[in-house]
Amino acid sequence: MNHTTKNIPTDPKNCLTDWVPVGLTNHIPRGAVVRAYIDQFDIAIWRGEDGFVRAWENRCPHRGMRLSYGFVQGNRLTCLYHGWTFGGDGICHLIPAHPDLTPPETIHTHIYPTCETGGLIWVALASMPAPAPVIKGAWTPCRSLHFVQQITLAALLADSGLSSTPLTEYAVCATRKNQTQAVLAIQPMGKHGMMVHCSIASCDHEAALHDTSRWLMTRRAKIEDTVPE
Amino acid sequence: MISSNAPCLVLVAQKWSDMKLYDYVLSGNCYKVRLLLHFLDIKCTLEPVDFYPGRAHKSPSFRRINPLEQLPVLELDDGKTRICDSQAILIYLAHKFDPSRHWFPVNEPEKLGCVVQWLTFANCITAASSRARLHDMLGYTCDITAARAHAHRAFRHLEDHLCHQEFNGINWLAGAQPTLADVACFPYTCLAGDGGIDIFIYPAIQRWLRRFATLPRFHPMPGINIR
Repeated sequence: MNHTTKNIPTDPKNCLTDWVPVGLTNHIPRGAVVRAYIDQFDIAIWRGEDGFVRAWENRCPHRGMRLSYGFVQGNRLTCLYHGWTFGGDGICHLIPAHPDLTPPETIHTHIYPTCETGGLIWVALASMPAPAPVIKGAWTPCRSLHFVQQITLAALLADSGLSSTPLTEYAVCATRKNQTQAVLAIQPMGKHGMMVHCSIASCDHEAALHDTSRWLMTRRAKIEDTVPE
Repeated sequence: MISSNAPCLVLVAQKWSDMKLYDYVLSGNCYKVRLLLHFLDIKCTLEPVDFYPGRAHKSPSFRRINPLEQLPVLELDDGKTRICDSQAILIYLAHKFDPSRHWFPVNEPEKLGCVVQWLTFANCITAASSRARLHDMLGYTCDITAARAHAHRAFRHLEDHLCHQEFNGINWLAGAQPTLADVACFPYTCLAGDGGIDIFIYPAIQRWLRRFATLPRFHPMPGINIR
């Protein structure tokens, strides 16, 4: 039996071609692993002690356990189920049931490229992604909000009184009248709805974080009250 | 005059009691009491009750202990007095064994009000999240769609609050230090996945759960897996 990653879902390259935001940079500290969806794709995202963020298909190549249940030690992720341990490059380094075995390099997780910019963590699912986004300036992570329905950026911003400049397919730089500049980015999650991630220009203070959060909550209430389920 | 510190340290480090906790290992409400016993470093006799599959909490003998047929129950060291509600037990234990008043700040009225507000809110979480968990794990009947929807409403509120606390540099529900509010809300939030309630959509909640799990003397229960 060979243990390579055989059961990869439908090739994501046809689904989403651009980089998708999956969270605020401060949501995943060193040593943490979280679960995220992009469309219908289940992903484990973790940060090693080296500070580098990794995004993997959320499925151990051994028995299909969600890797987001695993734990990070140094720059390795260990599956909770049988302890298979993978390096930052996704290659299996240790199978505890066979401690003397050097696992063949064909045993590896399915990895996706990541980057961090604009106070956000981004993942590309496509096998040949566009160049990683670069959002200039210093940004402070504000918050992420869950929306029950998945809507487009245009629908999120419609009649909002914001002036906005597109940054990527999923993000804009937005400014309210006399208010803080913000990066607003959406993460489509299929049947799980969507996340809206927001960071604000770093020159601002605590009050701006509260103010932006309140604005987002009001916006969400308005959208969820008007969009039929 | 005591010549060595060692015996004193042992005495200080662990408080023994003759209390008895009627307990079920998989109950989130029993877990919150066990958690506080760990945090306060109090030894207490655990009396396991076969909630499932034995349904021992419905038996005539248990009904004499708690006519409401609910767990947990704390029997005090007089062997007679019994406290029957998990939040009430938390308040009793904090009041009795925490002279610092950090866990239940009776000397700070505003903070106390906040703590009690979240103790009440913990019951909203339990009513929805625990119901969904009993449905999915033990086959109880309920309106599962409604239970999950109620849980999400509660978690969205919790998420918004925790976000705003973080903006102010505050890590906990009711202030700069963990209180009974955090202990009461933690179990059924952390166990929500058992009832088919996804909490990966609540990042501030996840950060709070992670912080909670790093508290000194934190103790997990089966089904709780965070580091």
